[in-house]
Amino acid sequence: MMASRKSSSWANGAVGVLRKDLQLELRNKSVLGTLIVFVLNTMFLILVSAGRGDLEPRTEAALLWIVIFFTAALGLGRAFLSEKEQKTRLFLRIHTQPLMVYVGKLCYSFLTILCANVVSACIFLLLLGVEVTLPGLFILTLILGTLGLAGATTLLAAIIARTTRSGILLPVLMFPLLIPLLLAAVESTFYSFVGQSFAEGGWAASLGSLLTITSFSSVVIVASVLLFDYVWQD
Amino acid sequence: MRHKYKTVRLVIIIWMTLVLLGAFSFGGTWLNIPKVAMLEHTARNLYFHVPMWFTMMALTALSAVHAIQCLRTNSPVSDIRSRTAALIAVTFGILGLATGSVWAHYTWYEGTNIWWNFDPKQSMAAVQVLIYCAYFALRSALDDPRKRARIAAVYNLFAFATVPFLLYVLPRQLESLHPGAEGNPAFSDITDPIMRAVFYPAVLGFIGVGWLLYTQRVRLACALMTLRSIEEDNHF
Repeated sequence: MMASRKSSSWANGAVGVLRKDLQLELRNKSVLGTLIVFVLNTMFLILVSAGRGDLEPRTEAALLWIVIFFTAALGLGRAFLSEKEQKTRLFLRIHTQPLMVYVGKLCYSFLTILCANVVSACIFLLLLGVEVTLPGLFILTLILGTLGLAGATTLLAAIIARTTRSGILLPVLMFPLLIPLLLAAVESTFYSFVGQSFAEGGWAASLGSLLTITSFSSVVIVASVLLFDYVWQD
Repeated sequence: MRHKYKTVRLVIIIWMTLVLLGAFSFGGTWLNIPKVAMLEHTARNLYFHVPMWFTMMALTALSAVHAIQCLRTNSPVSDIRSRTAALIAVTFGILGLATGSVWAHYTWYEGTNIWWNFDPKQSMAAVQVLIYCAYFALRSALDDPRKRARIAAVYNLFAFATVPFLLYVLPRQLESLHPGAEGNPAFSDITDPIMRAVFYPAVLGFIGVGWLLYTQRVRLACALMTLRSIEEDNHF
């Protein structure tokens, strides 16, 4: 009885943090709108400079994920900086436990970056004329990759909110850590593009990559949960 | 205590001198390394290039251990130890990359213009160096020493948690020319006993040199810290 009440109040806290962030976001639509404009611009740059339809599938997959990584680096750094700017950090620290804040922010980051990624994937596939042979695999890779990105970046966003020069620091901190995720996501996306032309079939070949992405996401999320207290408290 | 430290330091210096003598001595029958086509005398780089990695790995683990210690006890000395181990690890990492790049250019890629090929071991070391560069960039962006110690320790451990994925993912994605990789003979099968007689002491010796550099820098940083606190006491 006690335990269930405790866990429900814990979830309430996390949902509360998420709802606060979503409401703020819906009220002025600053982050998501800017991110989508950024994605549009980057895609246009790629289209103009790399041409249409004559790219290798692996290059296409790599380009897509590099755009996604930069979008995440720009958008997710905001997660904790906004608390600093609106001076709500102390309020959150008094009224919630660190883990609630982390989970709430993780969900918020995941939703934000998922929206931006869906937009960028749609534009990318339409404008570059990429054919996706295995749409299910492509969507799964996108969702799992987004989870890994959000999981790794939420802790780093909390870290950079504590620094003085936060602007350029997030890409520097996150890119070397995310190289395993990038490699696995690119490989899996590549298989979803070329699909059945491989004798063994796209799904079987990309199983290893999908497992890598999943385990990477869980490891970074567990590590973040363990380490978040130290960043959040003074 | 001080005498013990000096003795260990002296042992390491003498040990490394012997290793260097062994590494460069040729002629006669003693330590006359076998000539392998393509490798020739560059095989002696084995005594330098490979121990660099061992030392870097050891210092990386040391840095993570002291980061945990720093979070648990909040002690400034743990922070100094963690930071110094990272610095020396980067130094050995860069040396290992440089020796490996030059070695590969004149053997594996002889006749081509390649200095850098995305070999998994090479990429992993480069990523490790990049992570520590980010670590020091992060430190430079934090002003308050206590906050810097904690946040840097968090990043250090977070990065350490992702390293196993580099070990697992990179070899699957990239081809390797290093011994022991897929299809290549293992190190112990292709290395002459006479070379191993120098190689294993060289590994120990370079880890010793890493330890020496590390302890010297830790002592210097601790002395500076004490000096600063004495100065502050005199001011007020």
